[in-house]
Amino acid sequence: MNNYNPISALVIFFIIVGLLYVFFRPVKGWFWLLKKNFRSNEKVIIEDVLKQLYHFEYSENKVDMKTLVQVLDFNNGRIVEAIKKMTINDLIYFESDILKLTEKGRDYALRIVRVHRLWERYLADKTGFHKNEWHDRAESMEHKLSHDDAEELSAQLGNPKFDPHGDPIPTRTGKMAQVNGVELPRLAVGAVGRITHIEDEPDIIYKQILAENIHIGSLLKVIENNSTRIVFRSEGEEFKLAPIVAANLTVAVIEKEIVIEDNIARLSSLTEHETAKIIGISRESRGESRRRLLDLGFVKGSTVSIDLVNPLGQPNAYLIKGTSIALRNDQAAKILIKKD
Amino acid sequence: MKENNIENIIELSNELRWQIGDEFHDNLTEGIYADAADIVKDTVKTSDSEKRFRLDAKIDKIVTSKYFGFPIMFLILGTVLWLTIIGANYPSSLLATLFLDTIHPLLQSGAESINMPWWLAGFLIDGVYLAVAWVIAVMLPPMAIFFPMFTLLEDFGYLPRVAFNLDALFNKSGAHGKQALTMSMGFGCNAAGVVATRIIDSPRERLIAIITNNFSLCNGRWPTQILIATIFIGAVVPESMSSFASLLAVIGIAVLGMAFMFGVSWALSKTVLKGEVSTFNLELPPYRPPRFWKTIYTSLIDRTLIVLWRAIVFAAPAGAVIWLISNLHIGDETIAAWLINSMDGFGFLIGLNGVILLAYIVAIPANEIVIPTILMLTVMVTGIGGGAGAGVMFELDSINATGDILKAGGWTLLTAINLMLFSLLHNPCSTTIYTIYKETNSAKWTAVASIMPVILGFIVCFLVAQFWRLIF
Amino acid sequence: METKVNTACETCSHFNKEGLKKLGIQTDNFDFVVALAGNPNTGKSTVFNALTGLRQHTGNWPGKTVMRAEGGFEYNTDKYKLVDLPGTYSLLSTSEDEATARDFILFGKPDVTIIVVDANRLERNLNLVLQILEITDKAVLCLNLMDEAKRNKVEIDVRTLSKDLGIPVVPASARFNQGIPELIQTVSEIASGQIVCKPHRIKNVPENIEKAVKTLTAEIEKEFPNIPNSRWIAFRLLEGDKEIIKALKSGEFV
Repeated sequence: MNNYNPISALVIFFIIVGLLYVFFRPVKGWFWLLKKNFRSNEKVIIEDVLKQLYHFEYSENKVDMKTLVQVLDFNNGRIVEAIKKMTINDLIYFESDILKLTEKGRDYALRIVRVHRLWERYLADKTGFHKNEWHDRAESMEHKLSHDDAEELSAQLGNPKFDPHGDPIPTRTGKMAQVNGVELPRLAVGAVGRITHIEDEPDIIYKQILAENIHIGSLLKVIENNSTRIVFRSEGEEFKLAPIVAANLTVAVIEKEIVIEDNIARLSSLTEHETAKIIGISRESRGESRRRLLDLGFVKGSTVSIDLVNPLGQPNAYLIKGTSIALRNDQAAKILIKKD
Repeated sequence: MKENNIENIIELSNELRWQIGDEFHDNLTEGIYADAADIVKDTVKTSDSEKRFRLDAKIDKIVTSKYFGFPIMFLILGTVLWLTIIGANYPSSLLATLFLDTIHPLLQSGAESINMPWWLAGFLIDGVYLAVAWVIAVMLPPMAIFFPMFTLLEDFGYLPRVAFNLDALFNKSGAHGKQALTMSMGFGCNAAGVVATRIIDSPRERLIAIITNNFSLCNGRWPTQILIATIFIGAVVPESMSSFASLLAVIGIAVLGMAFMFGVSWALSKTVLKGEVSTFNLELPPYRPPRFWKTIYTSLIDRTLIVLWRAIVFAAPAGAVIWLISNLHIGDETIAAWLINSMDGFGFLIGLNGVILLAYIVAIPANEIVIPTILMLTVMVTGIGGGAGAGVMFELDSINATGDILKAGGWTLLTAINLMLFSLLHNPCSTTIYTIYKETNSAKWTAVASIMPVILGFIVCFLVAQFWRLIF
Repeated sequence: METKVNTACETCSHFNKEGLKKLGIQTDNFDFVVALAGNPNTGKSTVFNALTGLRQHTGNWPGKTVMRAEGGFEYNTDKYKLVDLPGTYSLLSTSEDEATARDFILFGKPDVTIIVVDANRLERNLNLVLQILEITDKAVLCLNLMDEAKRNKVEIDVRTLSKDLGIPVVPASARFNQGIPELIQTVSEIASGQIVCKPHRIKNVPENIEKAVKTLTAEIEKEFPNIPNSRWIAFRLLEGDKEIIKALKSGEFV
């Protein structure tokens, strides 16, 4: 027993660890790939085709077979197979080479969209998943939930109108709230508006917007708008975006000359010995966290000041309604204040 | 008919909800606070509105200051821990003398005089009684010292400030600042630490705190660490340095435990727990002078005795099992010897041995009886003299004699180091496992919390053993 | 402490010291159920201990009592079962603590609810008080930590407060057992119906919500006449509270 070789033991150990990594590493592990492949059955393909057609229809674009095959991440042969079946089942039809949804197909598509957006709402309000994971999780969930499940989910969430990106959630009967606004690059310099929607596709641009810390529901004022960049102020900070990125933000212009107070700021920018009045909590703070903040007294009109500065930078303790409450900086950044 | 009406009401509420939009909760809360402000305006007069009282503010300025905050914190928590470990020594040895050296022989002769069959006497007195006595002797004094002190700090209001100071560190590994406290509590007893996680009101962070609490070296493990470090680590350095070196080794293990706690917290929050809801808020309550005697009383009743009782309930059957496996035979071997032989190969691979592994299996109920079990089993398998008979756990007063037995059992410096590592990184004791189950109500998280540390322990011991053998 | 006996209830008969017996954890054959609610860190557990003679641990640390603790006391031959609810800031959210507290007050139908508040932080505490008053109309406010309030020079007009809230208000310092006899006396008078409360209802609700709430309340009252908290049920339905929907369907409110 004593004459084994430690080196071979180590080698075997690292081989096992390596194999486990290859199989189970997040997203690209073989295990997950296999699992994903396994579940991309016909139903999934049909539903994805319907959804894509619906999105094209919603944005008033026409789509032919070639474009469709490009946007879908499936084997071409299987897509053609699915399309054939869908035509037979009266879900879609061809107008020359343009694909169109039938009434029945649109209903089906709306149901998928409803489940997708409800699930994103659910992930945002009731779980702790980071927002750059919502979309992918909803993509796989939309094929799993039945009609009744969706009803129950909707009731549990209090029948929300919008998903966390600001997209309207179709009701059971297919009714949808209106998204107001235009794409940000179409706003003139000096215009004031509120961000009503943040498009989560394509992924690359969405991640860039997330990294900029731009929140849905924020008021903004355009300072500069030209073909190279768009500059705007929001919540006391200045943002510079490329037009292609800015186009993913939908902004409802506020016509009335309401005062976009220049001294609206985020609570995180409050310094010691300053006091401020709370204006509200950004829509970016959701679910349990938002409720907790409200319950603790971070409501419109409350006076707030810094009670204690943290030796490590955060969380700082804020004095609110006579009690000292510590909040981390990312929470404080979602509370809007007006400094006195 | 009636059901129909109720359906209608629910339907109506859904419709209305859709009309008023997502702002309902916000508006309602704002409305309530507006009412509250109106009422307060009429009824409350303050001379110095919105300011907290000056004494509180002054204390806070000091205990959270950049320069004094951390030294004060380390000083206070260090003192508590030091007083516990040092202060527990005397009552512990007193209890040990009473239970093990006085009452145990009395019981044995008592059993003899009433002609109790040897197996029943062995089972009850050497098995059950001894395990329970051991647990009480080792566990009660440190807990009776640690918990009241900790509770006094808590009642005074200092602990939330510790959470406040340290939150940034814990935030980086996805945990809550209050975990600093449940971790400190874990140094006293992991089961109590797990119960203390109730103060963390965010589901994700609470689970993290529960699962990682085991990485705090508890009272039941300190004596093992100190004993082994003194025998083996102290021996490799010059004699004048030996107590310092062994102290350093023990502290090193405790710090390593904290490192694992941070690492595992981070990994959990990024993987299996990322979907759990995470919120943060920390109220810094006003300081209140604790009511000394009342606090001592309640902390003894609420924390110490409850945990002790649970430990006893689990230790009693463990004592029985230990006695049984050393006295029942398969063929001409005892079950214990057979188990030890079959585990020796794996034990050697990870730098331990079969005796240690078996001791950790049968001593799941309480870490306190690991060393006595190891000694008993070592004497049994090596057949050297000493000890008190098959299945009778014992400990020696002399550290040197203990060392001699262990060395006769084939222990090397590597075995000692790996035992210290394994004592840190193994499954929580069954009291803690039970408590985790009660607190989480989930078999899944209980399993994760129980199995993950053992696997980590195997991996770490394995790696240390291989590299050790390559180098030396 | 001179503030202590300024009880709001002027009709209070005198406290009968001989009539009090602390029963500890014995809660058999009780006549009345009393719920104890309040924000974290208001000394709620201290009040609980003062009433029952128990010694539940009371840490200076928000959120200590997570599980429901029960105890009892006897006063003037009536036995009271006291239930200590988890300390919460609100009853509107979904956390486990809040659901426990909310469900007990709503479905457990306590005969009296004692709401413990920190006199130093009345405004923050009123958030919870006003919510409870939407659910139950048999409540008493225990204005705790009066000793600290005095040190901080906080003065509270107890009579106006009592009038505004529509329930009796008892100032107390539970740590020093001050105000506890008055509290017990008030509780017994509410339980026996000698005091009838007319609790405050939340006023500052935006118009569109108030309209929705009114519509819904009317429907609920049509279905369940004599229900004291139809407005609260309307609030909860608008939040989509599953428990409430379930309770409506099973008829637990009748």
